[in-house]
Amino acid sequence: MKLRPLLLVLAVVLLALLPVLGDEVTMQYGIDVLLFATIAQAWNILGGFTGYASFGNSAFYGLGTYGTAIAMTQWGQPFWLGLVFAAFLGVACALLIGVPILRLRGHYFAIATLGLSATLAAIIANLDIAGRNLGLVLPLTRNEPMFYEASLALLVAASLTVAWIARSRFGMGLLAIREDEDAAQVMGVSTTRYKVAALALSAFFTAIAGGIHAYWITFIDPGSAFDLTLNVRMVIMAMFGGPGTVLGPVVGAFILTVVYQLLASSISTAAALLFGLVIVVAVIFMPRGLWDLGQGIGRFGPRYLLQNIRMHRL
Amino acid sequence: MLFAQLLANGVLLGGLYGLMALGMSLVWGVLNIVNLAHGALIMLGGYCVYFLFTGLGIDPFAALPIAMLVLFAVGYVLQRFVLNLVIRSALLNTLLITFGLEVVLTYCAQLAFSADFRTINPPYAGANIDLLGVTLPVVRLGAFATALVLAALMWMLLERTKLGRAIRATAQNLTAARLYGVDPVQLYAITFGLGAALAGAAGGLYGLVSQVTPYMGSALTAKSFVIAIMGGLENPFGIVLGGVVIGLAEALAAIYIGPTFTDAISFGLLVLILVARPARSLQVT
Amino acid sequence: MSDATPAPLFEARKITRHFLGLKAVNEVSFTLAPKQILGLIGPNGAGKTTLVNLISGTLLADSGELRFEGTRIDPLPPPRRAYLGISRTFQVMKPFPRLSVLENVTVGALFGFAGGERSRAAARERARDVLDFVGLLHRIDQHADQLSGPDRKRLELAKALAMRPKLLLLDEVMAGLTPGEVDEVVTIIHKIRASGVGILVIEHVMRAIRSLSDRILVLHHGEAIAEGKPDAVLADARVIEAYLGKRRA
Repeated sequence: MKLRPLLLVLAVVLLALLPVLGDEVTMQYGIDVLLFATIAQAWNILGGFTGYASFGNSAFYGLGTYGTAIAMTQWGQPFWLGLVFAAFLGVACALLIGVPILRLRGHYFAIATLGLSATLAAIIANLDIAGRNLGLVLPLTRNEPMFYEASLALLVAASLTVAWIARSRFGMGLLAIREDEDAAQVMGVSTTRYKVAALALSAFFTAIAGGIHAYWITFIDPGSAFDLTLNVRMVIMAMFGGPGTVLGPVVGAFILTVVYQLLASSISTAAALLFGLVIVVAVIFMPRGLWDLGQGIGRFGPRYLLQNIRMHRL
Repeated sequence: MLFAQLLANGVLLGGLYGLMALGMSLVWGVLNIVNLAHGALIMLGGYCVYFLFTGLGIDPFAALPIAMLVLFAVGYVLQRFVLNLVIRSALLNTLLITFGLEVVLTYCAQLAFSADFRTINPPYAGANIDLLGVTLPVVRLGAFATALVLAALMWMLLERTKLGRAIRATAQNLTAARLYGVDPVQLYAITFGLGAALAGAAGGLYGLVSQVTPYMGSALTAKSFVIAIMGGLENPFGIVLGGVVIGLAEALAAIYIGPTFTDAISFGLLVLILVARPARSLQVT
Repeated sequence: MSDATPAPLFEARKITRHFLGLKAVNEVSFTLAPKQILGLIGPNGAGKTTLVNLISGTLLADSGELRFEGTRIDPLPPPRRAYLGISRTFQVMKPFPRLSVLENVTVGALFGFAGGERSRAAARERARDVLDFVGLLHRIDQHADQLSGPDRKRLELAKALAMRPKLLLLDEVMAGLTPGEVDEVVTIIHKIRASGVGILVIEHVMRAIRSLSDRILVLHHGEAIAEGKPDAVLADARVIEAYLGKRRA
């Protein structure tokens, strides 16, 4: 067990050295992957551990995007302050809508969060300070290594947070809420507070990711900042890799982004088609994610693939 | 007068929206599956009617039953051999797999039919009926009427037939229904097929009042979501009513607020409704 | 009612709860002294589980008062009541399905009375002790959804005990057990009481109720129709009629 942390540290160091070892294209690619891994990990806190599958984390992403953009373009603040403001907006939103929206469960919760994101996008598109429908243009900077290291640092921070959750009393409470919220309540878990905390943590990392992304791509508008397809992508990555695990979402994000990019660079229409097929097949054979599959096959061999189907079919 | 016209437009289109949502709510209520590929099924229905019309010269309204049969078969197969495999796993998995299916169907359609916009233009496409100073396009009126008829047929199926009783029993309590001899695999597949058939009909009608493209699916899925929740998952007429409400809201919003906000309006309404409902009534997971 | 001078551990005063116009619990009043075992019996549908739900906070009362150690608890949500020292089992058992037996009980140790343990390690230790006490130590690493019926009942009890309650509400923990298993549970409950816990036991197994209870409360159609020492209550004509009358109907 001592080997694992060592390997992880090694992996992080190697990743951190990419700007030195790799070229610019790989770095840009890497930034994309790292940011996606972060938002998948952030989703994991609420979706994987607490059992509340949000389909509206794009709301926090968008708030983070606009928070940084407004701070930098309208108020002339430096990047790091922009990120602070981004985080502030994300967490504030989570705390404000958390209590009412977390009263909903299952599909209703998913849809309400989706609605939240769409509504926020519409509101922002009406604000002058946000540039209305045209969006905002951030100061241009070509410092790819900076964005890369920032994204990596954010991913590490998010993953360390999830690792802490997996070992803490707080995390145990979240798991209890996921497994049986009513039982968790009578056992003393302050479910409302815990759920809102999970939402706030999720919002925090997602918003900062949005902020980094904003400065990196320089141009933002309501449609791309609050892009609803982000939600499905982050959910798929977290689920593919393994919800409720520490490394699952990261692995899922890495693999799926690579797969998608590889496919896209060859034949673009067929790429999307194959991507859809990959998802369908993945859900059938690994309903609890890659991580669980890895452990299952390790223990039971390839028959485990069929065992999943047998367990989940009608 | 303009206001009355707006209302008329909203109501007519709203009936069609209600029909779209009907298929989704049936599947949701009985199988507890939120079918993200629902819009893609609507799209397939649209292409079906389009090709029956342009290829074989069959009148679009007459082609509807054929499209419905085709889509029933598609839905049956999808549920029986794909969705069935994951139906007892986490709720999220059915969402994801239907998402994957949506992607697959959309891009298959693009490869097969190209991304060109298709419209279904029967000879009477431009005809209007003038009623009390309001102009009602014949095609839209026909679509509205068809939507109502199909909703009524679905109600009759659910309330008055043996199959309908089996479906409702399964929706309420799968274990009990099994004890009474219902074969859940078959029943689920039939229900999904029915939902797909309704989607197919909606698609054909949509092609008459708007256009058919491979990408039309996701926006229509989203709209059906909203209506299904508003109308409640039990009552076909409630759903059609929900559709009409959305249709009206869109028509009014387009004039008074701006066309870019129609989706946001529906979603905003939805969030408010969900959040304002007393917590007790939403204990279903 | 109670002839003891020490303050009651728990007191219900005219507690009432409606469901769609029907009075599921109708102005029920009773007290529970510290270290006392109160048996709660009555025909099916009498309102026993509803009463337990009202005490644990799963349901909120429509009127009346609930006092725990002198403080009013009826406006408090369930986690608060757990913090004060009330814990319960569920008749339809509610394990955390995908967590292990140990993890299930650890949750109780982490969040129960006075907020439970702060560290997971300490909580796990206590969980192990509790599992040993109820006889589930050999299943410690199994997933809760893989347990058999009687083991699930043990788990339910262990989860509640790990919370270090002062008041324990047991809802039919003996249903479906063999006579031998019933005796084991009775012994366990006596031990729990001896450690200083007040216990409210809902049970249909009459033999067990008779040997366990210091006092018995009988509910019928949501109302308290008898309360007192076991022999007296079980011989009470109204109680007998409630059970027999129910059977004839």
